[in-house]
Amino acid sequence: MNQPAPTTLAELREIQLFAGLTLDGYRWLLPQTEIYSLESLLDIDQEVRTSHSIGAVGFRGEWWPVYCLSGEMQLLPHIPDSRRNCVLLDNHADRLGLICDHVETIAADQHLLELPACMRLPGSPLQALALLNGRLGCVTTTEHLAALLAVHAETPHGC
Amino acid sequence: MAAESSWESNAWVLALGDQLHAAVGERELIYLIENPILLEVPLSPYYCRQVVLWNGRLLPAMDLSAWLQGQRKNARDWKLAAVVAYQTAPGVTPNYGVLLLAGIPERLRVADTQACYLPKHPDGWRELALSCFRRGEDAIPILDIPHIFTGGLLTS
Repeated sequence: MNQPAPTTLAELREIQLFAGLTLDGYRWLLPQTEIYSLESLLDIDQEVRTSHSIGAVGFRGEWWPVYCLSGEMQLLPHIPDSRRNCVLLDNHADRLGLICDHVETIAADQHLLELPACMRLPGSPLQALALLNGRLGCVTTTEHLAALLAVHAETPHGC
Repeated sequence: MAAESSWESNAWVLALGDQLHAAVGERELIYLIENPILLEVPLSPYYCRQVVLWNGRLLPAMDLSAWLQGQRKNARDWKLAAVVAYQTAPGVTPNYGVLLLAGIPERLRVADTQACYLPKHPDGWRELALSCFRRGEDAIPILDIPHIFTGGLLTS
C-alpha cells in the first residue's frame, strides 16, 4: 500500500484542538475534528471482525472496525484491563474505532515540534512531537493510523 | 598556549559505553547535561529511543553503544549527555543532537600523524565514523555527527 504523505508541521500547527489518546502510558494526539464519537467497550461486538480488528461497533447503520493497539502501535489480540474507551475516528476517507486507556481534549497552544530526522522510521504514523507540561505527546492522524493498520493487515501475524 | 597548527587540532574523547570511545571536534561539543531527563518516543530506532528537552528544543538522544553492540541501557542509567552541534551545509543554522555518555569527556590534541584504520570490531563503526586516530593502544574513531543526526543510520 502507498504510504500517505507526511503531514507538515505547518499543517499540524493550524489545528485548534487535539484529542489525547492514552495507550500504555504514551499519549497519542489526533485532530479533534477526526473524533466522531466516544463509545463504551460494551458496545463492541467481538463477533464482527475484519482483518486484525478486535470487533466492530454498529453506528448509524454501519459497522466500524475496532482495533486494539499498544502504545508502540502494535496490534493486540486482547483488550488489556486498563482500556476504558473506544474512540470512533472518521476523516471522511477512513472510519475505524480505537480502544484507549483514556481520552482527553488538548488545546493546540501546546508546543508542536518536528520529529528529528534520525528518528523517522519508514511507515511510522508519528508525524510530530508535542510538549504537554513536561510530558511528550505523539502527533498522528487517522489517515496515518489507517495506513499503519493496512500494513498490519498485509502481514501474516499483523505485526 | 601553543597556536593550533594545520596538522594538529583539539578534540573531545567521549565514553559511549564500556570500552567504547569516540571523538568529536572541539567545537562540536557545546554542552553537558548531568542526569538528563529522557522522554521515550514510540516507534523510534532502537539506538535513538528518547529525546531530551534543551533550551526549548527536543533533541534526539543517541545511544551509540546500542548501535554498536545491539544492547540498550535502561534510560535511568544514563547520568551524562553531551549536546553536539552540526551544520548540514556551510553557513546554515546549526542543528543539535545529544550523545548519551558513560563518562566525562576528555579533551586532547590530535596530530595528523596519529591517523589510523577504524577498529574492525564492532563493525558498526564504519557507519558512524569519518576517520580514526591512535591514542596509545587504542584506535579512536572520529564521529560523523551530521550523518548520524540527519538519518544516515536509518538506511544502514
